[in-house]
Amino acid sequence: MNKMYISENSKVVVQGITGTQGMFHTKLMVEYGTNIVAGVTPGKGGQEIYGIPVFNEMKEVRAETGADTSIIFVPARFTLAAAMESLNAGITMTVIITENVPVFDMIKLVERANEKGLHLIGPNCPGMLIPDKIKLGIMPDNMCHYGDVAIISKSGTLSYEITKAVGDENIGVSAYVGIGGDPVRGTPMQEAVAYYSDDSKTKTIVLIGEIGSDEEEKTAEYIKEHVSKPVIAYIAGKSAPEGKRMGHAGAIISGDFGTAQGKIEALRKAGALIADTPWDVPKMIKEVM
Amino acid sequence: MFNIPLVKNMLIMRGENVEEKVEGFSFPAIVKSQIAIGSRKKAGLIKIAQTKEEAISLCKEYFNRNIAGFQVEAILIEELVTIEHEYYCSIALDASGRQFYLIASKEGGIDIEEVAKTIPEAILKESFSFQEGLSEELAGKVARQLGFNGKQIDTASQIFRNLWDITFKLEAQLVEINPLVLTPSGIVAVDGKMILDDDAAFRQPIVQKLEQKKLTELEKLSKQAGFSFVELSGDIGILANGAGLTMALLDVLSELGLHPANFLDVGGGASKERVYKALELIFKLNPKAVLVNIFGGITRCDAVAQAIIEALNNFSDAPPMVIRLTGTKEKEGIALLKEAGIEAFQDVMEAVEKLDEVLSE
Repeated sequence: MNKMYISENSKVVVQGITGTQGMFHTKLMVEYGTNIVAGVTPGKGGQEIYGIPVFNEMKEVRAETGADTSIIFVPARFTLAAAMESLNAGITMTVIITENVPVFDMIKLVERANEKGLHLIGPNCPGMLIPDKIKLGIMPDNMCHYGDVAIISKSGTLSYEITKAVGDENIGVSAYVGIGGDPVRGTPMQEAVAYYSDDSKTKTIVLIGEIGSDEEEKTAEYIKEHVSKPVIAYIAGKSAPEGKRMGHAGAIISGDFGTAQGKIEALRKAGALIADTPWDVPKMIKEVM
Repeated sequence: MFNIPLVKNMLIMRGENVEEKVEGFSFPAIVKSQIAIGSRKKAGLIKIAQTKEEAISLCKEYFNRNIAGFQVEAILIEELVTIEHEYYCSIALDASGRQFYLIASKEGGIDIEEVAKTIPEAILKESFSFQEGLSEELAGKVARQLGFNGKQIDTASQIFRNLWDITFKLEAQLVEINPLVLTPSGIVAVDGKMILDDDAAFRQPIVQKLEQKKLTELEKLSKQAGFSFVELSGDIGILANGAGLTMALLDVLSELGLHPANFLDVGGGASKERVYKALELIFKLNPKAVLVNIFGGITRCDAVAQAIIEALNNFSDAPPMVIRLTGTKEKEGIALLKEAGIEAFQDVMEAVEKLDEVLSE
């Protein structure tokens, strides 16, 4: 079940490699040492970007290069199609960087991915980093070195902030996973926690959450039952005003779920240590080490 | 269009002749402001008019009011029905479960949130998958559990199924009828609400049409520019990137007794132009100082620096700015600012201390 697995041996294809963001971040990933074997942009096959061959479709890529991992930078309205192409070509791990993907597209995609055994991360996420080994995403690459703390986050920049603070204190990171903050996505927080709870290289888990949804509460239940490693959590949004979109259904489905206070309480009760500010995290890791 | 039985009604748009429109409608009737906020009845935005004259003066009052930055764009006048009982029903997305709920209650009406908190067992909740949709069996089961009988079961369950039809076709995250009313002549929907997906706007014309109406003026500007913005009551302008980091920053400031004037997440991969527009917008709030906190991932610090330099050149009366830049292209960004004589921090707490200093000057 180690589907979330990527390593320096992963063969990566960039979907949307000829776009501004795709091109810019391909360069940074290559510089980091990521093994990018191909790019895909329909209609642009035959070109080369930084010496990387560009193909028209994923099936070709798979046949020609044996790529097993993909990262998607295509515009939101084409994201479902791009991910389905990856899935049908036999890719086993896909990171979707694209933001503003319609919710119904994600519902369809995640169902299919689960059936076919494709592991999805995202959408609207920074991706995944195994420090000093592989960068599969858009996160800054000077944040930290390899070590034994797994960082799992719904938020992008906030997790950069925390990961950098951790790195600055010379604490190493076994994996950084930005799961994204969209309502429907490939990797629920609980699944990521479960993975790193079983991962032999990880000794401590840092969880970064924010207001909205009931994921942190669900994750807290999981932690209580199954996780023996120390978990340090930071939840953003304690001072946030009540959202305009909090309609009847939100209140009905979730009761008091969704507030920062509710999440903090649930996690604390499950045995997690709660950081008051993002910058308290490194100190707390040292205390449990 | 979606076959939900409604009471006799009439919609008056802003700018239409109210006197002409109400002519011929029978009173007493209910006058409802159409505005994208909840709890309208409690806010006095829904009232009963006994006569035509009362309705006209209510309409004028509503059209002239400004409610939390919103204008009433339309008013719905509805026939007064004899209420035998009020129910609640909705289809709602359970995002983390990737399924939908049919939610219903015998205790419908304006206190449904209170009911959900105090007597949760009064809320019926049945889940179903996106692929299978809401079946006749499940809809019928809920209709019976609500206490409907005979022909009412078919009517109610057809309404639930039509709600699913709306949810599916419009890519909604919530489609709600509250109250669903039992009258002597049958079941009718008296009020409703939907939450649609902004990200599906490119293929859902109704979303494009509604999108502009629910925003305040400044929020409209920010929406066009591509960042998310919420006006707050304090005096420190905030420009940051990432919803999580922006929220964390607001939390830290609040705990120090500093009061942000806004939440502004400039968004992933913000260009120089977008950052410039964000600054322009923040300056409109007349803050005492502005705190810029950028952690560049997909956003490039050099582009942010260029925007700041340009804004400071163009706005001679700009408030003092405290800048923190780190991440992608940070060296280039900080060098650009230095050349222009602007100090920038890499550590956020140092920036917050500086901000405190600037404010007390």
